[in-house]
Amino acid sequence: MKERDEKTVLRLSIQVRVQHFLLMLSVTMLILTGLALMYSDSWLGKLMIFLEGGFETRGFLHRISAILLFLGVIYHWLYISLTREGHEEFLQILLRLQDFRDLGHAVLYDVGLRSQPPQFGRYGYREKFQYWAMGILILLMLFSGIILWYHNFFLGVLPKWAMDLTLVVHGSAGTILFLFLVLWHFYMVHWAPGKFPFSMTFWHGKITQEEWEREHPLECMQKKNENQ
Amino acid sequence: MKISKVWGVIFLIGGMVAVEAVPGFAQVDPLRRCLLCHGKAGFKEVLEGGKERPLYIDVEDFRGSAHGNMVCTICHTDVRTIPHLSRPRRIHCLQCHYEGNVVGAPVERKPEKYKESVHGKALEKGDPRAPDCRDCHTSHSVRQASDSASTVNKRHVPETCGRCHLSVFTAYSQSVHGTALSKGILESAACSDCHREHDLLPKDDPRSSLYPQNVANTCATCHQNETLMRKLGIPVKQVQAFKESFHGVAIEFGFLKVANCVSCHGYHDILPQSDIRSSIHPTNLAKTCGKCHPRVTAMVARGKIHVLPTEPSSGIVYWVSQFFKWFTILVLLGLFLHILLDLFGRFRAHRTT
Repeated sequence: MKERDEKTVLRLSIQVRVQHFLLMLSVTMLILTGLALMYSDSWLGKLMIFLEGGFETRGFLHRISAILLFLGVIYHWLYISLTREGHEEFLQILLRLQDFRDLGHAVLYDVGLRSQPPQFGRYGYREKFQYWAMGILILLMLFSGIILWYHNFFLGVLPKWAMDLTLVVHGSAGTILFLFLVLWHFYMVHWAPGKFPFSMTFWHGKITQEEWEREHPLECMQKKNENQ
Repeated sequence: MKISKVWGVIFLIGGMVAVEAVPGFAQVDPLRRCLLCHGKAGFKEVLEGGKERPLYIDVEDFRGSAHGNMVCTICHTDVRTIPHLSRPRRIHCLQCHYEGNVVGAPVERKPEKYKESVHGKALEKGDPRAPDCRDCHTSHSVRQASDSASTVNKRHVPETCGRCHLSVFTAYSQSVHGTALSKGILESAACSDCHREHDLLPKDDPRSSLYPQNVANTCATCHQNETLMRKLGIPVKQVQAFKESFHGVAIEFGFLKVANCVSCHGYHDILPQSDIRSSIHPTNLAKTCGKCHPRVTAMVARGKIHVLPTEPSSGIVYWVSQFFKWFTILVLLGLFLHILLDLFGRFRAHRTT
């Protein structure tokens, strides 16, 4: 247990937390209802469809969640383009060559070829890769999902093979998104040693001073310099 | 005056006299007594209103039938004398073909199935047009279905059913199945292959082979048979592709209004894709799909309909699917490796401090 009076830093603003909450809710629902349909020929898929209120309700929930995700994406887009905070956050999370160097550095450190781990700023390569992978995958899911939702319209516009392709992309990208979420995001923020079994940062937005200094030393240093 | 009836009576009396006159005649051929009259071509009864009812039995045809070694009175049990004292009663197959009969008539569960069928139900309701056993099997030339002369032999089934279902027979005769059957390709579907025979149920009965949820399986009995389809040069993955498609999954979960095989292909009048009249000819696809999807255009003909992303013949859909398959494996390996490396790194750091 962490000490109650331990010093904490606010890492996630209320804006970010609301967006994360929207994303968490919609993506979880989308994955549960999507996988149910994808594996509807197996007992697990059938069980999931049953738990989701039957075949028709499953589809309804999937579409409702998709609207929620869509709203989340719009919210995020407005946040980074219209607010100063969002704009600064976005600049921070843009990929730089240094991030790939950091990845190499981290691998070398993990196997013992470097004595010090890479030093991260506000966002390390792990968070950035996650953001961009999720971003691209979610856009892919939204575009393919809209085509599938409005298949009656798109059947008249797109050739049949493009419709089939859309379905393949929707299923495959969804699977990758799910894997990424579980094996990258969950591991990083919840299951890694020191954070296991669950981090509540997404709710209150705070991390401990110690964690901040350890995981984001460059940001920490920069803040201290600004304050002086 | 009904001349032929008079002649019939004269024949009957004459026949009886002849039989009585020659001792041992009856032992020569047990059928001959009956055939004295019923063996004469054109022997008939004229019914009220001038309708004729043939009473002639083609003895060669009868001898070749499943009952060919029996005498008439085995079934016509009420016929004792010539001339007949009373009008011989109608006989029924179930006189012998019942469970526990002593004459050794084969019994299958077919009569029970028949009673459940559309024909059996219609008969029960008293519909005079409803067919009984003999309407399909005939009365006097009953033969095993395997006998090519049988009315229920596969090559004759369409004609047999077509005696009542004439318009269906006409449509079927021009279909891919009908033309193939008439060419002697016995693997092709006749009526009974889809409708079944004795358990021919209405299509809104969930047990029916024609119930929307069962249609794909009915077609699958042949169209998923790899050796048969390869022999006939017909693609075999269509049923599987359907079952994995949106339509197939939805119908599995009880959405009966979605398309099944016959919604697009038709049923009695199924034609091959290459036929310009076919509902699945590329030029007709937009119209066919348009029955349910009103905005469909000719774009729907650009690509395969029964697509399995795992089949190389699916073209770009296959290649993109393969890309994603390997990409997913790569991502999975990468993510696991990353976790392992990270754990290993943390473990080393923990040990050194």
